[in-house]
Amino acid sequence: MTRVALDLLGGDCAPQSVVDGALLVAEQDPGIEVVLVGPVEVAERLLEARGATGRFPLVAASQVVGMDEDPARAVRAKRDATVRVAARLVRAGSADGGVEAMVSVGSTGAALAAAVFTLGRLRGVTRPALAAVIPAQAGPLVFLDAGAGTEATPQLLAQFALAGSAFAGVRLGLAAPRVGLLSIGEEPGKGDELRRAAYDILATLPINFVGNVEGRDVPYGGKADVIVTDGFTGNVLAKGLEGAASMLTEVLFAALTSTPERAAAAQVLLPGLGEATAHMDADRLGGAVLLGVGGVVVVGHGASSAQGVASCVGVAAQAAREGLVPRIATALSDLLDRTREVAAP
Amino acid sequence: MTADEVLAVVQQAVATVLELDPSSVVRQTRFKADLQADSLALVEIVEIVEETLAPQARPGFHIEDEDLDGLTTVGEAVDYAVSRL
Repeated sequence: MTRVALDLLGGDCAPQSVVDGALLVAEQDPGIEVVLVGPVEVAERLLEARGATGRFPLVAASQVVGMDEDPARAVRAKRDATVRVAARLVRAGSADGGVEAMVSVGSTGAALAAAVFTLGRLRGVTRPALAAVIPAQAGPLVFLDAGAGTEATPQLLAQFALAGSAFAGVRLGLAAPRVGLLSIGEEPGKGDELRRAAYDILATLPINFVGNVEGRDVPYGGKADVIVTDGFTGNVLAKGLEGAASMLTEVLFAALTSTPERAAAAQVLLPGLGEATAHMDADRLGGAVLLGVGGVVVVGHGASSAQGVASCVGVAAQAAREGLVPRIATALSDLLDRTREVAAP
Repeated sequence: MTADEVLAVVQQAVATVLELDPSSVVRQTRFKADLQADSLALVEIVEIVEETLAPQARPGFHIEDEDLDGLTTVGEAVDYAVSRL
């Protein structure tokens, strides 16, 4: 049984969508035990209304970090915040009454701060990144930073490249993942000062750096197994892609059902289109892994539905089961040692 | 604790969070301008310093959030912590 702590108060539709997501998890994967973290009376009331009293272990946490608060300072001040309590459960570990992973679809900054303060960072990581596995057309790829931070330096992008390469090695099973730097053109000189400086550093790292890639290479894939960017750009691109996919689906559906004749044809076409695009559904992708902290932390979209919450829990449980954090720590440590060997005179 | 002992605690906290050689962190070092420490790193440093100094400080020892913005260098942080011990 894999125990996953779930932040009851995080997300635009919390706590209802969180409780509904936990119930979906119980239906879809009986090998996961969700531990709800938040005000116990709120959880009990919602569970009772759904005929699910006593269905999940509950751990009390009375505070929440709002989206409008400075995350680091708010987490520091609120020792009983849901994300902080959940992170403490991860630190305790399942053998000690805790959990093996945590999920929040609330403030990313709060989850990040709680994870860093409570779980610490892996060697070589000064700023964790959100790593998402994108189901690109040519195959899955790792995309980071999807929005853990908004400030970046060339050195930080190099750190993301190392961590992303280690993550792709573990998650995608690749011996030498191809690492690309997101920019506005493929040539080495393309991009702003940050990108150009980062390019020069990435070219010296002991990773399979394939140079610059462009925004279109994220949905199409094929050019890189890991795409590195800063959290600001990454978050804008991720939400842009999500919006474009959602809009395209709505436009297609409207066009295919606008007349009786089209609607009749759609009876045949829509199931096929649904199957072809199911893997791109944001609610089914699960959240992004907070890469570089000393425990499994998955952060989901604030607007996650119950299915979105359930998918995040699934991603967290999978990461815990496959020993993602210790394996990444080992792979990253190895890359760091090789980096220092290369840099040594 | 002496100011030098507190300086050693701050140096170690900065070195841990930003993965630096502690000896490269001196009183004149500026958190943001020299180390590019962001708000998360600064708060993490504060948490470590508080935790390390607490056993030897007066009860309730705490670094106030509102005072953080005024501490731009390692030396200022050390003097502030010493004054509240």
